[in-house]
Amino acid sequence: MKERMKRGLTTNEMIVVYIIFALCVLIGVVNPAFAGVSTVVTLLRSMLVTLIFAAFEMLVIISGGIDVSFPAVASFSMYATAMIMNASGLDHVVIAFLIAIVIGMMFGALNSVLIVRFKIPPLIATLGVSSVANGATLSFLGSKEINRLPESFGKLSRVFIYEYAGETGITYQLTVLILIPMIICIGIWILLKFTMLGRGIYAVGGDKNAARVAGFRVTFIQSFVYVLAGGLAGVGGVTYMILMRQAHPQVLMGTEMMVIAAVVMGGTRITGGHGTILGTILGVTLIALIQNNLIMLGIPTYGQTFVVGLLIVIGTSITSLRTKRIQNSIKI
Amino acid sequence: MEKIQNRLRSSDKNSMMLFLIAVVIFLVMGILEPSSFLGIKNIQGMCTQLPEFGLIAFGMMLAMISGGIDLSLVGIANFAGIVSASIIVRMGGGGFSILAGCIAAIVVGAVCGCFNGFMIGYLQIPAMLVTLCGLQLYTGCGLMITKGPAITGLPEAYSFLGNGMILGVPVAFLIFIAAGVVVYFLLRSTIYGQHVRYMGTNSMASRYSGINNLAVTIKTYMMSGILGSLAGLIMVSRYNSAKTDYGSSYTLLSLLIVVLGGTNPDGGKGSAIGVFLSVVVLQLVSSAFNIMRVDSSLKTFVWGVILIIVIVAEQLGNKRRMRNA
Repeated sequence: MKERMKRGLTTNEMIVVYIIFALCVLIGVVNPAFAGVSTVVTLLRSMLVTLIFAAFEMLVIISGGIDVSFPAVASFSMYATAMIMNASGLDHVVIAFLIAIVIGMMFGALNSVLIVRFKIPPLIATLGVSSVANGATLSFLGSKEINRLPESFGKLSRVFIYEYAGETGITYQLTVLILIPMIICIGIWILLKFTMLGRGIYAVGGDKNAARVAGFRVTFIQSFVYVLAGGLAGVGGVTYMILMRQAHPQVLMGTEMMVIAAVVMGGTRITGGHGTILGTILGVTLIALIQNNLIMLGIPTYGQTFVVGLLIVIGTSITSLRTKRIQNSIKI
Repeated sequence: MEKIQNRLRSSDKNSMMLFLIAVVIFLVMGILEPSSFLGIKNIQGMCTQLPEFGLIAFGMMLAMISGGIDLSLVGIANFAGIVSASIIVRMGGGGFSILAGCIAAIVVGAVCGCFNGFMIGYLQIPAMLVTLCGLQLYTGCGLMITKGPAITGLPEAYSFLGNGMILGVPVAFLIFIAAGVVVYFLLRSTIYGQHVRYMGTNSMASRYSGINNLAVTIKTYMMSGILGSLAGLIMVSRYNSAKTDYGSSYTLLSLLIVVLGGTNPDGGKGSAIGVFLSVVVLQLVSSAFNIMRVDSSLKTFVWGVILIIVIVAEQLGNKRRMRNA
């Protein structure tokens, strides 16, 4: 019992919780304005899109691969969806999501063909696809941002599930879009925890050959993961577009590093086979907390890249070292 | 014996193919746009542009042969460039200050590389993760120095490195050639070169055969960092200013070059000549695009397509060879 409690208190998730707690206390002491409902609302809003990306990136990493093409794929589907909706006059959010999912899944299928069929290292294959998707967005679709979006988008972005009026009279509103990452996270949790397919993803990430011998359809599982990742990247793109009320072909580029770092900080092993959705949510929270609140700690804007980089290096080193120790200890 | 012969032939085939592609581009562009493409100005221009990403590609190749990857090279290049630029500006821009700046840049590159190597070799964190974080970290370091805007006001003499010519040959190109020769020699004729390749093929086997994997890893990433810092020096000199977001497209580009040049992404195999040829091919394509006035974003698209096609072709070739054997 005691042993179990001890193990429960030193899991990766708990360590991230400790760090988040310590950071909150630190920021709260330096700047008392931090402690409040408004911070939570702002934090959730800034986590929203990252969480969608991190959720499926975690799946890809658990399966033993990596996907760095999602910002480009999300940008492509976001931009293409906006163009299609504007050109055809369709005006419904569900249709927008469907179009984006289909486009994203096509890129996901391309990824999976390259990785599963041709056995190209995932990093290089997805880098190539990323450059194809990004280049295609800019040269075939357009490079200017689209501000005229269907009305239903604007309507949805003004639906709030929670409103909080601050003391200064500023109201903090939590958009209804936060439900999208929540649904995705719950879905992935169920997938990983209760389905054979989910257990197969862990098995493939742990040892591909062993998984095959155990009777998992390795090819199918890997393809499934990449296609799902593509589709969800499309969802992320459209969510971002609705949230920001414009479609921009470049704005998401470069977020892959943060997302991967968040996933790894949440205890997912970069070599595959291990990871939980709870850890990923915590990792995203930690990164968002750092990014949002460095100003409150008095760190100037130009120093933030360095501090964030340093924290990520430390965070990933700690988790990697822990995994190494756990792996070594199991063997004895 | 036959195996060795086969291997020689296969690596030669890759280089031969690249060489042929280069010749074809030369011919096609020579017929389409003879005056602008084959002019001495364009060729000199190409030789000035290619060293930046060529040096980064050499660094990437070393890391990849050792079984890792170095995504932080652009960050190292910019950080080193910024350090050298700020030293030169602070010290007044004389001849001595330029020398000090260049040495400082190379030291910065070596230190950053050592850090990468230490994290990868000693702490056993995957190379991709370390260097991805490193990119952020080094860019952040650079940003701490510049505080955002570019560092300007570099002395005239400094631009000799990036824009100067010796007997009509750009200085940057000479540096690139020299670096290429050093890398070629290291990989081909030194014990270190053998060790890197062993480690890249099978790190476990190399450790059991008595190779100090940690030392080899650190050396590799240090070398790669130094090559990155040289690229940074040339970049600073060419733009006559230092900033953190120069050359952000070079990471993908150098990966493409290295894979195109016949380096195995899983490690263990790669040649300096192949990488050199693929640098030339890429520059030819890029310069042909410029002359044809093609949109630069289309370049990204085409490079992605080329990367995918080349690797798929290589994998298919491998499969056939395995079936034959």
